[in-house]
Amino acid sequence: MGVPDRLRTTPSGLVLPFYAYAAASFLASALLAFCSLDAFGEHHHHPHLLALTHSMALGWATMIIFGASYQLVPVLIERELYSIRMGYVSFAFLATGIPLLVGAFYAFDMGPLAKWGGRLVLLGFALYLINLSKSIALSRVRNIHVRFVHTAALWLFVVGAFGLVLVYNFTFRMLPGDPWKYLPLHAHAGVLGWFLMLILGIASRLIPMFLVSKYTNERLLVWIYYLVNSAMVIYIVEFYVPVLHSIAPLPWALLLAAVILFGTYCRGAYRMRLRRSVDAPMKMSLLSVLMILLPLVAMLAYLVAYAGRGGGGDQLLTTYGYLIFFGWITAIILGMTFKTLPFIVWNREYRPGSYSGKPPNPKDLYSDGLFKAGALAYLAGFAAFSTGIAIDHAGFMRVGAGLVVLAAAAYNVNAWKVLLHRKPTTK
Amino acid sequence: MNGMNANERHGLRAAEALQEVLDPEVNLNIVDLGLVYGIEVDPQERKLRCVLTLTTQFCPMGGSIVDGARVALERAFEGYAVDVDLKFDPPWAYGMISEAGRQFLNA
Repeated sequence: MGVPDRLRTTPSGLVLPFYAYAAASFLASALLAFCSLDAFGEHHHHPHLLALTHSMALGWATMIIFGASYQLVPVLIERELYSIRMGYVSFAFLATGIPLLVGAFYAFDMGPLAKWGGRLVLLGFALYLINLSKSIALSRVRNIHVRFVHTAALWLFVVGAFGLVLVYNFTFRMLPGDPWKYLPLHAHAGVLGWFLMLILGIASRLIPMFLVSKYTNERLLVWIYYLVNSAMVIYIVEFYVPVLHSIAPLPWALLLAAVILFGTYCRGAYRMRLRRSVDAPMKMSLLSVLMILLPLVAMLAYLVAYAGRGGGGDQLLTTYGYLIFFGWITAIILGMTFKTLPFIVWNREYRPGSYSGKPPNPKDLYSDGLFKAGALAYLAGFAAFSTGIAIDHAGFMRVGAGLVVLAAAAYNVNAWKVLLHRKPTTK
Repeated sequence: MNGMNANERHGLRAAEALQEVLDPEVNLNIVDLGLVYGIEVDPQERKLRCVLTLTTQFCPMGGSIVDGARVALERAFEGYAVDVDLKFDPPWAYGMISEAGRQFLNA
């Protein structure tokens, strides 16, 4: 009987702490943005912006992606995770390291706090990579989604290791030249190699699945995979070989092509869906795909207007960063949280045989009205804030940041409502 | 049920029981979703064997679906030893959704 093996999925006890940590980090990051409005008018190396970026990138996005991927990777590789314990230890390392790192950036103290934070975060990344690599090695399944996820985990480790080198570089000079000049390399390897690669790999599986769509196009996904990786490699080469600066827009053009192809893929999945109605979290997830275009357009505008002209355009670069972390990354997480979290909790609470009453629908575990209100606040706040940064308008930024705080609060109320849900003790 | 033999009647009863089991994600019952590959009822031995598949292997909701099928069958066939097996060959495909299931999703 093959039943027990095939049903050995990741325990919710491993997955849910990542969701909880991410929700709290999103609210903390939104509050940090609201309290650091002055920093958005300064250079993007401002300590509060570095703290905010790391709080969003690690505490919010990476933590929830780790949790979701511990749950979803077994579906992709058709095998259980190599080690659940390693997953728990990765949580402990990240949960401890992230606040140390964010606090160190906020105070811009690159001493022991930053170094310990960086070391712990890197250890968490290493465990994730080892766990994923071993799980994939033990599986016979090889598909493009697995390749996306594995490559993303490799990039994440490289980004983490390089980030730690950069932290050290502020006190022990290890790299030639200005220590700040390496920051874009670290940031882009993280955004493109880790976030974009991972999100494309998982979303290309989940979007058709949640739409109940029979659409598949592995060839298109292979193209997207190579376009994103080529963009990364060209970006790195161009960074180190100054004579190639004239090709600076090339990686962005390749990324634009990749995103357009991914949009085509999602459109195909949407058109061939068997499920007619599309719920609000799914609409938000689909909207996030379009939102990937915004930072790409901002970067291309920056390159056309300012690159090679000896400076300027810093507001545009800060806007670019905001469009990434508070834009498409946040939008897809807002949507996908409520396509996954209620099911994980429902599965824990209402497994048949363990509950005698009529179980609710997993979708009833969160408030759809609150989700929609939060989504509206988020979209309005995001639009106002990004406009505010781009035109350096304090009023827009204040209103935008306030709305994003409200959106983060709504998200937290809904997420915690699900996380704390327990089945009724009596019928 | 007139004109049906005992085996067919048992099979129908089992299918009706399994129609109470929903895939929580799509809210569609597992019979119309095409997850039921076979039902064998042995009234003499009071044994029932049901073969299911899942939309994906290691589906996070797989445990709930299998347990749900077992509970529904044990309720419909009291005193029977119910065995639920999983099979992934052939793998589930969208073409396995019944016409009624398509209409439900399309509503």
